[in-house]
Amino acid sequence: MRRRRELSDRQLGVLFLLPFVVLSLGFVVYPALDAIRLAFHSKLPFRNSFTFVGLDNFRYLRDDPVFWAAAWQSCVWTGASIVLQTVFGVAIALLLHQAVRGINVFRGLLLFPYMVPTVVIALICRWMFNPELGIVNAVLKGSGLVRGEVYWLSDPTWAMVSTILLNVWKFTPFVVICVLARLQTIPVEIVEAAQVDGAGAWRRFLHITLPQLKAVLAVVVVFRTIWTFNKFEEIYLLTRGGPGTSTFNLAVYAFEQATANLKLGVAAATGVVMLTLLFAGSVFYLRLIRQQEAV
Amino acid sequence: MNRRQFLATTTAGALTQWPRRASAQAKTGTVRVWGEPGPYGAVAVDGMNEWAQKNAPGLKFAIETIPWSDVYPKLMTDLAAGRPAHCISVESPIAFQLMAEGLLEPVDDLVDKIGRNRLIPGIKWEYWGAWKGKQYVIPAHHQSHLLVVRTDVLKDAGVTKSPAEWNWADQLAAAKAIKAKGKVFGMSFALGRTIATDYYVISLLHSAGGRMFDAANKSEVVFDSPAAVETFEYILELFPTMPPGAVGYTFLDVVDSMAKGQAGMAFYWGRVFGRAAEVDKQVFDTMEAYQHAANPKTGKRLNWNDFQGWLIPKDNNPYIAEIKQALVHIQTSRDWQIRYAQSLVPNVSPVFQDVAQDARLTQHPFFQTKRRTIFEYYVEALKHASNSGNELLQGISPLAGIVHGRAIIAQGVQRMLIDKQPAKDAVKWTHQQLEQVRREHIRLVI
Repeated sequence: MRRRRELSDRQLGVLFLLPFVVLSLGFVVYPALDAIRLAFHSKLPFRNSFTFVGLDNFRYLRDDPVFWAAAWQSCVWTGASIVLQTVFGVAIALLLHQAVRGINVFRGLLLFPYMVPTVVIALICRWMFNPELGIVNAVLKGSGLVRGEVYWLSDPTWAMVSTILLNVWKFTPFVVICVLARLQTIPVEIVEAAQVDGAGAWRRFLHITLPQLKAVLAVVVVFRTIWTFNKFEEIYLLTRGGPGTSTFNLAVYAFEQATANLKLGVAAATGVVMLTLLFAGSVFYLRLIRQQEAV
Repeated sequence: MNRRQFLATTTAGALTQWPRRASAQAKTGTVRVWGEPGPYGAVAVDGMNEWAQKNAPGLKFAIETIPWSDVYPKLMTDLAAGRPAHCISVESPIAFQLMAEGLLEPVDDLVDKIGRNRLIPGIKWEYWGAWKGKQYVIPAHHQSHLLVVRTDVLKDAGVTKSPAEWNWADQLAAAKAIKAKGKVFGMSFALGRTIATDYYVISLLHSAGGRMFDAANKSEVVFDSPAAVETFEYILELFPTMPPGAVGYTFLDVVDSMAKGQAGMAFYWGRVFGRAAEVDKQVFDTMEAYQHAANPKTGKRLNWNDFQGWLIPKDNNPYIAEIKQALVHIQTSRDWQIRYAQSLVPNVSPVFQDVAQDARLTQHPFFQTKRRTIFEYYVEALKHASNSGNELLQGISPLAGIVHGRAIIAQGVQRMLIDKQPAKDAVKWTHQQLEQVRREHIRLVI
């Protein structure tokens, strides 16, 4: 009787990876390469024309003040969102890392913002932030914190604040989950030893907990930065990039160029700029963390 | 007729009819029809399905509605991707762009079948979409935005002059008086970076005697003018009487602020009456529509009329013949035309004389309480009709759709309101953007 040929571990690994590789090539690598190619072309969608234009699309970006405004606003939106998500995420994770009865209910509830579709949240937020009818102004005025209406989505500064708040509310749970998982692996003995030595809560956090969280925070910050920088739907659904172009980030800018202006090459060039910025930023950040760990 | 002749004619008739019937019956699938939100698109599709049941049982017409502010991006991206709906109902400036791009099936063969002379006197087939001697769009309805007021709010504010006699100064004074009372805002107005704002501002521009393009001169840009500056400055004066959120408003926000009693006046199409009737009967009872206030210099009271029509994308469209037959069916059926108009009174104004004169049209409850307002939308509005694709009804420019897709007029106004640019600078910026649109799409106008 012939024995069936058994696959080696290596072959088995390759076999398991194959679906992922095929899907990645089809849905990530190919579109990305095609977008890079498009960034150097002018495509007239209705006329089926596809002309090589060299760096014209990038020159268009260079000369467009809205692009630079969108780039700056991307940094503000990403930076503020990440800082707040990290601070709140770590704080909430520390609170949830307590042996309190019913804590699992809170941990479960924490996932709620992460589970609700963005479109639902954004539309609810539009009503909540409505200056005349919204609950946010009603609560603020009712509690005496503000007198008149705050125009959350109509004032350029408040509109940016609103989009950041939405992003922080929705994605802080991701930080909490990651940090909480790491907190649960920190040996209790180290913390107890520090406690015996007289270290207070703040010092224990600063010298024991935070260093232990460094690696996971590095990963969280890199991923959250990439995802937030690329975020489109929250801003578009909440403010459409307005008022004016005050909440445009680069993703919304690219969308506008592609759909409203039908400048597909310019939109693709924007994507290439975003890709380059994120790649450079991620490499820089990870190297920085590695250097700190080496020290 | 003897037996031989009878057989010859019936056989010939059967032979000539057979392939067409057979091919129509053989076609199966779903014919995608795009329309605005609102019941009228669905009514039209019901009529098309009535035709399909009898003549092409394998076909089903299905309505897909697109939110107003997303019409342009959705249309353009789907057209660019080569998968537009098979039949589209859209306002005329966007239709003009599509026909000039060569994306539409000519429908001249339908004009006589539907009735070349059926249109209400004073309006022309070309208002919906004709280009270089060919008709590309079939009239669905006309709809203008007018000045909608709450009579109780005006009375409360001490405004006694009838809105029918207002000029811009009277309108501004009324808005200020309402705001000063402190109960509601004076005027609700779309000023967000959307197509809605373009439609609002353009009507004021036209009343002031300005235009975006000179259609008779290869769509030369003529926006930068005293009329445009006057328009922008007037909006700046009106702005403090509006909800401050107006700089983010699009169509729906204006409807809601008016129907829910937050504003005393608004520019809006007839659907605001239906919405008010649904959400606040008290507001509905006091609402009336008037032609727009007259510009003090020109005396013009121009509105923005959609001239909404049916068009058929020609590429990759396997159902062109069937759609044409279905369109003829609903456009020649007075029953379907009345059902269509009555589905949203007074938003969907009839375009055919026989429909407008049919007594059944008035069998709608709004005719009991809002007869004058309905008359303003259905009849009077046509005397003051204009829109950005056919400015002052002096000729078609296919560039207006592109302008609205980018919300260029809205962006110009926002520069003045949000970035605090002087009106004349915002007008100059807007002019430059229009020049850029013309440069990029010069092929459409030469």
